[in-house]
Amino acid sequence: MSTNQVIEELKKHISAFQKTVEVEEVGNVIEVGDGIARINGLTKCQSQEMLEFPGGIMGVALNLEEETVGVMILGDYEKIKEGDTVKRTGRILSVPVGEQVIGRVLNALGQPIDGKGEVNTKDFYPVEKVAPGVMSRQPVSEPVQTGIKAIDAMIPIGRGQRELIIGDRQTGKTAIAIDAIINQKGKNMKCIYVAIGQKESKVARLVAKLEENGAMEYTTIIVAGASDPAAMSFIAPYAGVSMAEYFADKGQDVLIVYDDLTKQAWAYREISLLLRRPPGREAYPGDVFYLHSRLLERACNLNKEHGGGSITALPIIETQAGDVTAYIPTNVISITDGQIFLETDLFYKGIRPALNIGISVSRVGGAAQTKPMKKVSGKIKLALAQYRELEAFAQFASDLDVETKKQLDRGARVVELMKQPQYSPMEIEDQVVAIFAVDNGYFDDVAIVDMTEMEKKFLDFVKVSRQSLLGKIRKGEWDDNIIADLKEACEDFVKIK
Amino acid sequence: MKISNRQFAEALYELTIGLVEKDLDTTLEAFVKFLSKNRRLKQGNNIIVEFEKIAKKKQGIIEIEITSARKLDKDIVEKIKESFAKQVEAVEKIDESLIGGVRVKLEDRILDASVRMQLINLKKSLTT
Repeated sequence: MSTNQVIEELKKHISAFQKTVEVEEVGNVIEVGDGIARINGLTKCQSQEMLEFPGGIMGVALNLEEETVGVMILGDYEKIKEGDTVKRTGRILSVPVGEQVIGRVLNALGQPIDGKGEVNTKDFYPVEKVAPGVMSRQPVSEPVQTGIKAIDAMIPIGRGQRELIIGDRQTGKTAIAIDAIINQKGKNMKCIYVAIGQKESKVARLVAKLEENGAMEYTTIIVAGASDPAAMSFIAPYAGVSMAEYFADKGQDVLIVYDDLTKQAWAYREISLLLRRPPGREAYPGDVFYLHSRLLERACNLNKEHGGGSITALPIIETQAGDVTAYIPTNVISITDGQIFLETDLFYKGIRPALNIGISVSRVGGAAQTKPMKKVSGKIKLALAQYRELEAFAQFASDLDVETKKQLDRGARVVELMKQPQYSPMEIEDQVVAIFAVDNGYFDDVAIVDMTEMEKKFLDFVKVSRQSLLGKIRKGEWDDNIIADLKEACEDFVKIK
Repeated sequence: MKISNRQFAEALYELTIGLVEKDLDTTLEAFVKFLSKNRRLKQGNNIIVEFEKIAKKKQGIIEIEITSARKLDKDIVEKIKESFAKQVEAVEKIDESLIGGVRVKLEDRILDASVRMQLINLKKSLTT
């Protein structure tokens, strides 16, 4: 475009510009505290409305009282002074949504923090939205493959489910979530990882790891760092699920990880106490249950009339010294459709992922498991249960009968099979084949220490010699012919090893 | 329970409205005694401020604040006052950053017809 054209264009715009009188509704700051402010005036202010402080700092009206409005400040509250003028914006807190957020690292307000430029989306979704109702939902029917043998076999997760990951610090909670995200590659699933109150270094490491595994092509990361105001930690999960809802409304499947909700509850407690809401148990406000229930209720499996999209939620809760009876863990356990329980003892015994199968459950995922997996995992669960029962008792007995010995050996091998290193998710058909072989006793004469290596060799062998069989299992086929073929493959392998 | 300044002022207005001078004195005395008994004398000044607001509102007087870039003519100020209501008390302020035009503050609303705001709007319309 030439200079003249630019000038013409500008002239056109300027002449088309309408002079208007702006009507603004304002109030005055009467008190500022850590991340909150009290404001006089603003008589028509709505709940959850965005308010603008001088210098472009935004706030959200949380408490509407007789004379004042209690505001949560999103940003640098140290620059706000008593007497400052606060403007209403008439907008409810909302975040940008759309395809453009994929592959980006954003803050809780949807602003980019990865230095890759603006996120130019057309659409904005409000952060707080009412969850889909009964009539727009359908039962969970499709699986989410996490790529972790122990979970896919024994604690299966379905699309639209809410499965809690709970455990002490340093037990591999985030590792499970990240493995699940990495495993979604090519499975037509968008992923959103919400880091709440995490160390920035940890987030940076995760982003690098996801990029390395090609997972950033379908993943959005939302970060409310440890040094950001509590308001950001409070909003971040809602911002994340709003972005997820955009994709679900388009009929796509989304996996969202909240890491972790304990810190969100802490942030909400801080804000509530500063706003002088009465504290309850563990000093949390009375509506801390609603804080999590309204968030997790937004995970859904929509029926065909509503586009058929789904949001699967993996909330994470950190316990203190394995205490699941604390306030927040019990709340979230009761909201979710099951929990994956991680234990420090198991972690240091070398069983990683450190899943405690006994108390981990999935209340709805069984319906979503593929047929082959359902068939082979049933027996595995039983073998493990029997093993756990005998394990304690066997420590004292010197000579055991043959049957008990066999059960113990089988159990030990199943435990060994369930071990899996980080960042190495497995395809469902590989899992089925490996579990089938162990379950049918083909690995019984392999020493426990050689199990991992043998499993790898076996899978390589099957991949080379029985490609079509694996394809059938992947499609969810399971009949006597397949079982016979699998048995034959196992026998062939036993012969050559 | 803490009683707010406004509540005190409203009560005082209700009590004193339509009283003749003699009764007014006794009522006021009783009110001040009540304040002192409840250790609320410190709130006195703020109650007076609130009382003024309430009294003006009841009498239909509107308070506005006119901000402009330069000192305005008497006529213009009168015209602005007239356009709001019959009885208007105006406070004038000078703020050069407005560049031109006026900004009128009415309770907790601001009517902004300043050149600065027009320029900001123009910038918005050009950038989007």
